[in-house]
Amino acid sequence: MTMTELAKANPAELEVVSAVREGDPARRRRRSDRPLWMLGPGGLLIGFVIVVPLALGVYLSFLDLDQYTLRDWLSAPFVGLANYIEAVTQTNLLGAIWVSVSYSILATALTVPLGVAAAIATQNAFRGRTAMRSLFLIPYIIPAFVVGTVFRTVLAPEGVLNSAFGMQGTLWLNGPNSYWALIMVQVWSAWPFVYLLTLAGLQSVDHEVHEASALDGAGWWRKLTHVIFPYLRGPLALAVVIATLHHLNNFTLPFVLFGIPAPSPVEVLPILTYVTGFQSLRFGLSAAMAIFSLILVLIPLLVYLRAVRLDSGTDKGEQR
Amino acid sequence: MSFTTRRNSARPTAPVEVTRLLPTWILAIVLIVLGLLAAVPLVYIVLASLNSDLGVARGEFWPSDFTFDNYIDVWSSVGLASGIANSLIVAGSVAVLSSAIALGTAYALVRFPFRGRLTALRSLVGFQSIPGTLLLLPIFVLFASIGSVIGVQIIGTLWGLIITYLTFALPFSTWIMVTYLRGLPISLEEAARIDGASHFGVLWRIVLPLSWPGLIVSTFFAFLLGWNDVMFASVMTTPDTRTVAVALQIFGAAQEGGGIPLYGQMMASSLICAVPVVLLFLIFQRYLVSGLTSGSVK
Repeated sequence: MTMTELAKANPAELEVVSAVREGDPARRRRRSDRPLWMLGPGGLLIGFVIVVPLALGVYLSFLDLDQYTLRDWLSAPFVGLANYIEAVTQTNLLGAIWVSVSYSILATALTVPLGVAAAIATQNAFRGRTAMRSLFLIPYIIPAFVVGTVFRTVLAPEGVLNSAFGMQGTLWLNGPNSYWALIMVQVWSAWPFVYLLTLAGLQSVDHEVHEASALDGAGWWRKLTHVIFPYLRGPLALAVVIATLHHLNNFTLPFVLFGIPAPSPVEVLPILTYVTGFQSLRFGLSAAMAIFSLILVLIPLLVYLRAVRLDSGTDKGEQR
Repeated sequence: MSFTTRRNSARPTAPVEVTRLLPTWILAIVLIVLGLLAAVPLVYIVLASLNSDLGVARGEFWPSDFTFDNYIDVWSSVGLASGIANSLIVAGSVAVLSSAIALGTAYALVRFPFRGRLTALRSLVGFQSIPGTLLLLPIFVLFASIGSVIGVQIIGTLWGLIITYLTFALPFSTWIMVTYLRGLPISLEEAARIDGASHFGVLWRIVLPLSWPGLIVSTFFAFLLGWNDVMFASVMTTPDTRTVAVALQIFGAAQEGGGIPLYGQMMASSLICAVPVVLLFLIFQRYLVSGLTSGSVK
């Protein structure tokens, strides 16, 4: 049927035509021929290893659960919000939340200038740049438990840091300095992440922009602050949110660096939760603390979810 | 214009590279400072692993006498070999499993719109941020209960640990594959469908061969996540199934007669744990860097 014939056709015929077009294979595939069974294996597994434990974790936080009732947790006494109240009033929960938040934010803030400086310094080609870029990434890729083990040795009272600077006997792994030790080590292993995201941001600066600022005669500092930095705002904001999330959830580094129970200046929330559960065997109380850590993580997570691109471009109406 | 004249008088003949960001002297300072910051601890690990326990304990940077004994002793003193074997099995299986499952899941998520798809994508991002401490206890309780119901010990086994690690590996791998597959053109798949290929055929013969860069990223980082874990492994393993991350913690407690920790061996085994990962990373650096940034930016 040609277009002219179509135009002349009466409404009844048009309906037939559109019905035929509905039967067009490309269209039909959209509707009913979606292989959503492919979601099955991954979906089921995620349900089993994440969703079910998550729900169970909430339930356990309402139970009076210790080493005796753990075996038979289904019949453990239900105590409502008692664990939450005890966590806030009788334990160091609020202190641990404060340590977690302040350490995460401070460590993240210190990684930003390092990462940005590294990215800007390796943006222009020079001899040995490839080696330098690889070197910058190594601290990030070294396993956290290795970083912790090494710095535990470096920061020992008679360790190499103190002997190099003539500070023998200074305590880094105990007492008030431990807080700064944790931040220092965290910064050392985390700054390359900011570096990576800044590099990605720098790549979005067009050549014309460089030409324009050269024509305007902008000095390097003016060019950096007025021309380049605006391009980095987005990637940096994202790097800050993700890095903060990682630091809030970091269990390995404080655990390996200080052992358990951790000295109180570095008793972060993951450590307190772990110790309450698997050392003091107050499992219900520990489950309640874990819920607090979920709430804590939710704040940067919601920011992240707003920033991240979720749609695949095939269904624009669905964005956000 | 005054701008032009000033620029001409300041740098009359120098060829100006327009993309240049920093003057040479600042560039040199930044590179030296950051290079030292990154390199000094790395050099120290190598030197300390060649030092005696006493030398490390005294805080020597440069060993007073070099020895390779640490690299020989680590294999007998704390069971490093079995730890490495366990870690390789667990992290390797997790990496391959989660990447393989992720490919199918991500393909369906990217190519076929359905109700709840955005929620699923959001959850993928969210699940990656769930604190491990939140899942540790429930998984422990769940595995203990299931184990006693079906009469099979799960906690303490390697396969139990593999399933546990899927909690963080699966959402991560799936998200990486989602961001990768989004970048692939859909036209090849459509052409294959018109030629009569099944959906699975398209996935197997068209998508999979194009997905290797994404799969490398997913496999490497899922491996790294498993290799890195201390928390789950400290609760879910027995001395026989201990991973190397946990075995290394024993060094902190192990002492020689004089009461000095086995520092030299600690450093040697740290190096042994780090070198393969770092080498793999450097080999696949090109894929890994772009995969990591696009996974978090886009």
